Amino acid sequence: MNEENYILFDQYLQNELTAIEKENFEKLLQEDQEVASNFEIYKDVQAQLENKFTLEEERNAFTENLKAIAQQNSNLKDKKVINFKPVFYLVAASVLLLVGLFLFDANSKPNFEDFNQFDEAHFIERGEQSDYLKQAEDAFNAKNYVEAIPLFELILNENKTAEIQYYYGVSLLENNKIKEAEVAFLALQSGNSIYKNKATYGLALAKLKQEEYKSCKEILLTIPSDYENYDAVQKLLKELN
Amino acid sequence: MATQIIHSDQIYIEGIANNDSAIIQSIYKKFVPKVISYIRNNSGDEDQAQDVVQEIMILLFNQAKANKLQLSCPFDAYFFLLCKRKWLNELKKASNKGVTINDEYTSNNEPTEEMVTQTEIFEEKQELFDLMFQKLGDKCQEVLKLSFTLKSMEEVAEKLQVTYGYVRKKKSLCTGQLTQWIRENSRFKSLKIT
Repeated sequence: MNEENYILFDQYLQNELTAIEKENFEKLLQEDQEVASNFEIYKDVQAQLENKFTLEEERNAFTENLKAIAQQNSNLKDKKVINFKPVFYLVAASVLLLVGLFLFDANSKPNFEDFNQFDEAHFIERGEQSDYLKQAEDAFNAKNYVEAIPLFELILNENKTAEIQYYYGVSLLENNKIKEAEVAFLALQSGNSIYKNKATYGLALAKLKQEEYKSCKEILLTIPSDYENYDAVQKLLKELN
Repeated sequence: MATQIIHSDQIYIEGIANNDSAIIQSIYKKFVPKVISYIRNNSGDEDQAQDVVQEIMILLFNQAKANKLQLSCPFDAYFFLLCKRKWLNELKKASNKGVTINDEYTSNNEPTEEMVTQTEIFEEKQELFDLMFQKLGDKCQEVLKLSFTLKSMEEVAEKLQVTYGYVRKKKSLCTGQLTQWIRENSRFKSLKIT
């Protein structure tokens, strides 16, 4: 499969081909089995991407709702008393042991709050710069993220630096604007600043906060061992296992 | 997928897709207790049962949103079997030796089983897709994510400070890369039911 075909697929799906191009493409689909089957998978991938990202917010709302409803219902649950027959005691004991091991594991899922110790902000003032920087620094260090966020936005509009972008991401994350935080961190992750690894760690914490342990772990595993705060990475990985 | 008459319990599926609290509430009232008691009687506890239920509910949400969920059997049996199989799989994964479970792994009811299989295939495809997505380079992941979250490709270009032509091409090629990997993956070949 060459690249041209994928570009063609996209143009076809976006309805951007001329009548003749469209006709030619449809003819190609009929004649070339490989192209046709690739096109089917391509459409499927597109649908999967759409499901994954477009519905992210809706899915989060649904999950929150589920948790709330589950909570309500589990308070009402009736406690069933099970009469064990003596012969079952041995079995029960061994099952309990297994469950115990299992529970030990399940209960030790780490919390966001155990890992959100971020460095304090100490921005270097560059003479003519607005005093937003100082205000943002103070707000951030006082953990007043609601105030810090708009200040960071103002600063970023003037001058986008990796440092501010990182602290902006942390503030969003702390303020439960997880999606926006992820976008902020993602931008840093794909760059090459000294905040690259910190941002990756931030992304992992965003997953942790959403209790997406699997993705959290996957992201942590991409952080190189020379990252300055690698101890925390290892600790979190250990608790995730 | 065989065309079959849609069961009247499809309302539960629609309710899940629409995040309808009344419907979700009734699922928790009517069908979840049975799952919880099953899991508690099979080496699990309430929390683990709740996790299984939640995972299945989110799976159904995804499948319903992809318009690939048309119920041809009662919701009760379908939901219970899905949860049960998920739990048994987890037990299996958790034990090193492979626990023998004295339980009928499958249901004898054919339409229910078929529905469950469809959902499990959907789940596997989704997992495979996620795995492949993680394999993509950072740039690809970012372009794709933004392509589907921002309103237009023009906005994506602006956000990434690149040209419109570049993001369009990148999007096609990254989707193409996923297409190719998925095509080459052996697991996909056995899942080739769309």
